[in-house]
Amino acid sequence: MTSRRGFLKKTLGGALLLGAAAAVPVALRKTRLRAAPPGLKFFTTAEYSIWSAVAERVLAREPTPTTAAEAKLTGPVPRPAAPGLEQIDVAAKADAFLAPLPPGDAKDLKQLLALFDNALFSVATGGPAKPFTEMTPEQQDAHLRAWQTSRLAVRRTGFQAMKRLCAAIYFGDPSTFASVGYPGPPYDLVKSVRR
Amino acid sequence: MIHAGSDTDLVLKPDVCIVGSGPGGSMVASRLARAGAKVVVLEEGGHNTKEQFDMQEPRAFQRLYQDRGNRATADLSIAVLQGRSVGGGTVINWTTSYRTPDDVLAYWQKQQGSLLTPAILKPHFEEVEQRLGIQKVDYEDTNANNRAIYDGCKKLGWQVDTTRRNVRGCLRTGYCGMGCPVDAKQSAALTYLPDAVAAGAEVYANCRVEKIETSGKRAVAAVGLVLDAQTFQATGRTIRVEPRVLVVSGGALNSPALLLRSGLDRGPVGKKTWLHPTIAMGAFYKDPVEGFYGAPQSVASHHFAHRNENAGFFLEAAPVHPMLSAIAAPGFGAGLRGRMSRLPNLCATISLMIDGFDEAESGGTVTLRKDSGPKLDYPFTPRMHECFIAGMKAIAKLHLANGALEVQTFHNDPVHITTEADISKIDQPPMGPNLFAAFTAHQMGGCRMGADPAHSVVDPKLRHHDVENLFVVDGSVFPTGLGVNPMESIYGISSWAADNVKAALT
Repeated sequence: MTSRRGFLKKTLGGALLLGAAAAVPVALRKTRLRAAPPGLKFFTTAEYSIWSAVAERVLAREPTPTTAAEAKLTGPVPRPAAPGLEQIDVAAKADAFLAPLPPGDAKDLKQLLALFDNALFSVATGGPAKPFTEMTPEQQDAHLRAWQTSRLAVRRTGFQAMKRLCAAIYFGDPSTFASVGYPGPPYDLVKSVRR
Repeated sequence: MIHAGSDTDLVLKPDVCIVGSGPGGSMVASRLARAGAKVVVLEEGGHNTKEQFDMQEPRAFQRLYQDRGNRATADLSIAVLQGRSVGGGTVINWTTSYRTPDDVLAYWQKQQGSLLTPAILKPHFEEVEQRLGIQKVDYEDTNANNRAIYDGCKKLGWQVDTTRRNVRGCLRTGYCGMGCPVDAKQSAALTYLPDAVAAGAEVYANCRVEKIETSGKRAVAAVGLVLDAQTFQATGRTIRVEPRVLVVSGGALNSPALLLRSGLDRGPVGKKTWLHPTIAMGAFYKDPVEGFYGAPQSVASHHFAHRNENAGFFLEAAPVHPMLSAIAAPGFGAGLRGRMSRLPNLCATISLMIDGFDEAESGGTVTLRKDSGPKLDYPFTPRMHECFIAGMKAIAKLHLANGALEVQTFHNDPVHITTEADISKIDQPPMGPNLFAAFTAHQMGGCRMGADPAHSVVDPKLRHHDVENLFVVDGSVFPTGLGVNPMESIYGISSWAADNVKAALT
């Protein structure tokens, strides 16, 4: 906590921010918990819940004007539906991937998640007075975007850490290949030569 | 023999111990073993063979890349693709093979007192090219992802050519970056390391060297830990090698980190690390591109390699497999999914900044993390931003010339370009760390060679300035970036350096 206070003071003008953050009721600081699978190796239940909430928005499926415009580029493409996160537990896979992290990196990532879901920090940086896990989907997207484009380099770093791992886990899963038009590796060609 | 680690504590006393088995280490091992020296090679990565190369990105990145594919600058602004395997980066690179450009060698000679000239290196490159089967690609053998660069540049009158690749019997599956599943790519694991083993060298995989012990001006031992082949965690077994000559070939980032861990921190150790910092652009075409298949890199343009006071850059292709594409693609949510849904129609073109030729440039710096691994910082500068933007504009221009429907930048908010008039919009988004995707597949420098100990780590013969039986032989000795893909340069210069190592044995 000492280092975080030091960081805030250094980067955001400190006392003013901490004073504003302190005005937020304690009840608003709590992570909304989800049922976590047994045997987590890296995440606590709260951290698993935060990561799951992040993954839901990073990999959200609602159509947007952007995708509609892009669809015009190459015409409609009939594809199998993309699997949902109930089929690919991105947070559980992230837990397995992150388990061997060196202690220093693990500590940094856990602090990042705590900060990301902290209502005090949210309100202090212009967001709603709620933890990320309690926000509406629209608020969550705005929160992610605020981190993505923040003037604070550490927030942009944090966004990239979460987004990249979520995207890598999901789109690296073979069950998603058909939905993006990737036929998968040419196993038959390789087998014909290996024989 | 190639050993998969060791079940016992090891103490070995060879003539030469080589730390790292990539293009530098494998070459020195081969040359020294064939000359009759007793050689031990220690490699942190595992011994991976084609049977394990299943063309699945998650497994490949975790097994074959540094930090399980997660290596990056400390602020994550530049993702670092760097190999970790018996054979090093040659197991996972995209096979592009160039000799060191003459003007780069001349610059090294002038600035650093390098002994390397085109004439000196010529026989070494010729031997490497023969051993690795390096040949120029025919235009007909390029995939659409690369051909778009070729055709677009030709339409604009820009310099462009097919590349040379180190393959034999290539099926052009497109999976070079995940380990060649049919052994067509002539990696060090299939060439110089087997040559070394045939001549008696012993290669120990899954052995991480933690420290070099010194006494006075001599390196007396390389000490390290045996790792579990699956978890990469220490097994509790140790390794201690006491050679007559020690060669560090861990590559940029790992070699300077090893010197720093060993207290060999005099001089610019870790400084002037060069990455060819790279930005990517996506171009969407009406017809399928299928950039996940075919040789990943077979075309390059060096039209913008020399730009007077500004940093030069060169253009190449990147494969578009889904995991790597999703990591690099801008945005999140439906925007990300929209881009991913167009994957078969996507051309991915990259612009690589040629760093190191402005004396005021600091480049990257390697220091040690708390866990003693390498920590890399590479601050973005206005010079870099100018080069990135110029690269983006060039890519947009060539793809529009080639008939792309739309070209997108990889800014957090992508710039959408459908006409020439849109290209100037690339100037608008803010530039800075993590505001756009950047990566590196070419790590160089950090143990630069030079005649002046104040400005170099090793001398022009690649011997450490302070430790008389210690050499550094890998890409970390390069005083600058190259302006071309570095693999063949590392092989060729290491072949030359092997004679210096050999001389130190007598």
